[in-house]
Amino acid sequence: MTDRTAAPAIDFRGVTKSFRLPDGKTLTALTDTSLSVGKGEFVALLGPSGCGKSTLLRLVAGLEAPSSGAVAVEGRAPEELVKAHRLGIAFQEHALLPWLTVRQNIELPFRIAGRPVMRERVQGLINLVGLAGFEAARPKQLSGGMRQRVAIARSLVLEPEILLLDEPFGALDAVTRRQMNVELQRIWSESRISTLLVTHAVEEALFLADRVIVLSGRPGKVVRTLEVPFARPRHPDVMRTAQFHQLVDELTETLHPTDGAGH
Amino acid sequence: MSGERTQSALLGALGVALMLGAWEVIGQNRLVGMTWPPFSSVMAFLFDPSRQALFSRALTATLGSAGLGYLIGGLAGLAFAMLGQILPVLRPGTDRATAVIHAIPSIALAPIFIVLLSREAAPTALAALNAFFVFYVAGASGFASSSQTQRDLMAALGASGTKRFFHVDLPAAFPGIVSGMKLAVPAALIGAIIGEWFGAPRGLGILIVNAMQNFQIPLLWSVVVLAATTSLVLFSAMTLLERIVHERYR
Repeated sequence: MTDRTAAPAIDFRGVTKSFRLPDGKTLTALTDTSLSVGKGEFVALLGPSGCGKSTLLRLVAGLEAPSSGAVAVEGRAPEELVKAHRLGIAFQEHALLPWLTVRQNIELPFRIAGRPVMRERVQGLINLVGLAGFEAARPKQLSGGMRQRVAIARSLVLEPEILLLDEPFGALDAVTRRQMNVELQRIWSESRISTLLVTHAVEEALFLADRVIVLSGRPGKVVRTLEVPFARPRHPDVMRTAQFHQLVDELTETLHPTDGAGH
Repeated sequence: MSGERTQSALLGALGVALMLGAWEVIGQNRLVGMTWPPFSSVMAFLFDPSRQALFSRALTATLGSAGLGYLIGGLAGLAFAMLGQILPVLRPGTDRATAVIHAIPSIALAPIFIVLLSREAAPTALAALNAFFVFYVAGASGFASSSQTQRDLMAALGASGTKRFFHVDLPAAFPGIVSGMKLAVPAALIGAIIGEWFGAPRGLGILIVNAMQNFQIPLLWSVVVLAATTSLVLFSAMTLLERIVHERYR
């Protein structure tokens, strides 16, 4: 499954990204960052808010260009993957189109790519994310958790090579979030797409990922990489083990050092 | 929700009744002189069978020029807004040009239209001009009303400019455009009536000018009531459409 000897799915080489602010100052979001995501690997990027982790993900999606350094996806420029409609993405704001039904929202990537809609594929995903019976509902009739399920299904519908998840459950309450994590773990295990998840929730990162990369506060850079030792498929009970708790504590300490050096 | 709606409808009806009652009392008692006839006599004048042909001919003419102007102005306004959306370089230019055109009072432009076009075409031209502005503003702000995340999503899905326009920008603009369609109705009617003042062969505007100059007070009030009622009825119908579209697209 995870094969890190082959060309990585996502490769960052010394990437720096700065933005020119309206007042003329420069904001450096990422500085000299190198990291990679292997084929079929699930990597979680953990960091405090404003550490540039979303910028990192936007670079992979071709929504931003690096100021220096190089980003390669499947060995090519991110734009090529995007143009070939091989990228799946889900945002914290679900970005569903309110005038479309659940089914139409999930079918959208087919229409954007100009491909015939694969009805069985769409229905299969609707079933997989547990929305059977809600095909004709509109986003505003759904709960926050259900909307994110639609967004996840939409990100998977074209069987992308790369899946980008930008805090997809960040706006959900703790109970729904935990439930969505369990479901995402199950859904992901069926496809094993190379995935980059951006989050600031330590438990979420540990439960979902093969590897957790911790970024420092602004400007962001990699401060720690942790191989997650839990075997797949993962049962939610994993989150109750002593080892899980210990890793949560360790990562939380890295994220927010108690000696006051961080913030 | 429906209780609130009933209450607001009742309050609205009460307001209209109070206004008409005050109108009647002021008219009956000649509180502001001869030029304020009571509501009942205006109604009697308006519904007098001998004048039905006159009123319906005038109303048809005005609605005809306002409708044609609405259509022309609406299509032109939307096309202009679309131009600014598809070619963002042109956006400041289209914004400014529209604002400048709108800043000129239409009453000042009417003589120009009469010289350029004809007396018959002036009402349509002014209606089109008024509708153009409303449609441009509604379209331009509507096309920009998709969210940043929706645009990011389109970019990450590899959508072309046209794909993005038809899948996101255009549907996201519908609520704004429909609100514009509503506001453009009275604007087009005003344009048509003002255009008629400058010597169109028939129409409500002509009746208003004639009635005023010949001191035909009941006729003047009847035509104004007719114009106001027409505008309100069309406006209300558009409000209904607006509600449906907002429900669906937001």
